[in-house]
Amino acid sequence: MDMKGEYRIPATKQAVWEALNDPETLKTCIPGCETIEKTSDTEMTATVKAKVGPVSARFKGKVTLSDLNPPNSYRISGEGQGGPAGFGKGGATVSLEEDGTDTILRYEANAQVGGKLAQIGARLVDGAAKKIADEFFSNFAAHVGGAAARSDTSEQPAADGAGIKINHEEVKPSKTISTATWIVGLVAVVAVVLLLFSVL
Amino acid sequence: MYQFEYHKASSVEDAMKKLASADDGKILAGGMTLLPTMKQRLASPSDLIDLSGIAALKGIKVDGKTVTIGAMTTHWEVHSSKDVQKAIPALSDLAGQIGDPMVRHRGTIGGSIANSDPSADYPAAVIGLGATIKTNKRDIAADDYFKGLFETALADDELIVSVSFPIPKRAAYQKFPQPASRYAMVGVMVAETDSGIRVGVTGAGPCAFRVPAMEKALGAKFAAESVANITIPSDGLNSDIHGSAEYRAHLVGVMAKRAVAAA
Repeated sequence: MDMKGEYRIPATKQAVWEALNDPETLKTCIPGCETIEKTSDTEMTATVKAKVGPVSARFKGKVTLSDLNPPNSYRISGEGQGGPAGFGKGGATVSLEEDGTDTILRYEANAQVGGKLAQIGARLVDGAAKKIADEFFSNFAAHVGGAAARSDTSEQPAADGAGIKINHEEVKPSKTISTATWIVGLVAVVAVVLLLFSVL
Repeated sequence: MYQFEYHKASSVEDAMKKLASADDGKILAGGMTLLPTMKQRLASPSDLIDLSGIAALKGIKVDGKTVTIGAMTTHWEVHSSKDVQKAIPALSDLAGQIGDPMVRHRGTIGGSIANSDPSADYPAAVIGLGATIKTNKRDIAADDYFKGLFETALADDELIVSVSFPIPKRAAYQKFPQPASRYAMVGVMVAETDSGIRVGVTGAGPCAFRVPAMEKALGAKFAAESVANITIPSDGLNSDIHGSAEYRAHLVGVMAKRAVAAA
């Protein structure tokens, strides 16, 4: 399956880039994300508890970056292991573009599924994937936009009251590619796996 | 299957208490979606709280203007109820088209509506007839209930107790079933109610929705040709191996025409 999307984020390209480089931000914004670990400059793993309707599963995702062209575009590939349910893999091309004071993030993704997931079918794949992506980007837009608005205070508690601390530490300037990629990759992976899961 | 704790609740309060004390508990109604999901290991709740022993959640009552159906009433009971057949034949007809005989004898109206599967039949009736969802905490109007893909207005500690359908002047449900599962590729409930025309669509989008353009046209003239030229935008509609978003958008029009003709 193929999917693509475009999201407007109310922050500068630089702010988006930095937020995308911050694992804590990603963890806060990815629905159901429990851990994110960077294993090398171009690889990272994550554990996500995904929930769509009756389906609720914890899976491990691995994301790899390639075709890096910072800060404009990159290619991200992901693989999600859903335990006995099967696996999904996919990739996305992502680009950031400045538009006034906002940043437009675009992605084009494709995905394949295997194992039991593939047998079950692909009902609602697009719907589930879109739902996850929308949830992530709306969290992200609120988080980045909100963080920018109160960037002068570092003790502001997280707005959701869930006890998630937003990390306002300086993001180290990194010559490696942004975790931005991660994010989209993760979203792609989460989406892929979820969509597989929502077949019932 | 893997191990989990099974509880049989004796009342709605008891069920909510058991759910609250469970680590990762799930309410079990008919189990027609939850159990297959667990068998596939796509969900693994620590506790199941079975509602089947709660008599207060079962049964059908007709009181002149509304038909109230208990959450644990099966599709078969709704389909075969003489009271429902007389008051809202379209609702009985819809219940008789759900899934297969096993699903109809086990599956419940409350379970279907709480799950909000985008292809389930009952959501079209809830939206199309303008039903009220009664929970252990409040009444929720149909238009405020469905929020998205498998998403409803229900809170985590909220349970559907019954669903009340106002009796329409006339109504009909038409669906194009997916041949294997009998889920609705698209299903449309058209109703002329005391508060005007309602058109409820399931199967086409992430959750059930109304079509105001059709309602307006049918309000002016209740005839199949009124909806013939109304096209539904395919943006955001479901797309899968069984049918594209464009195909589903087209089916909405076809099913709406058939429903108007049958009403």
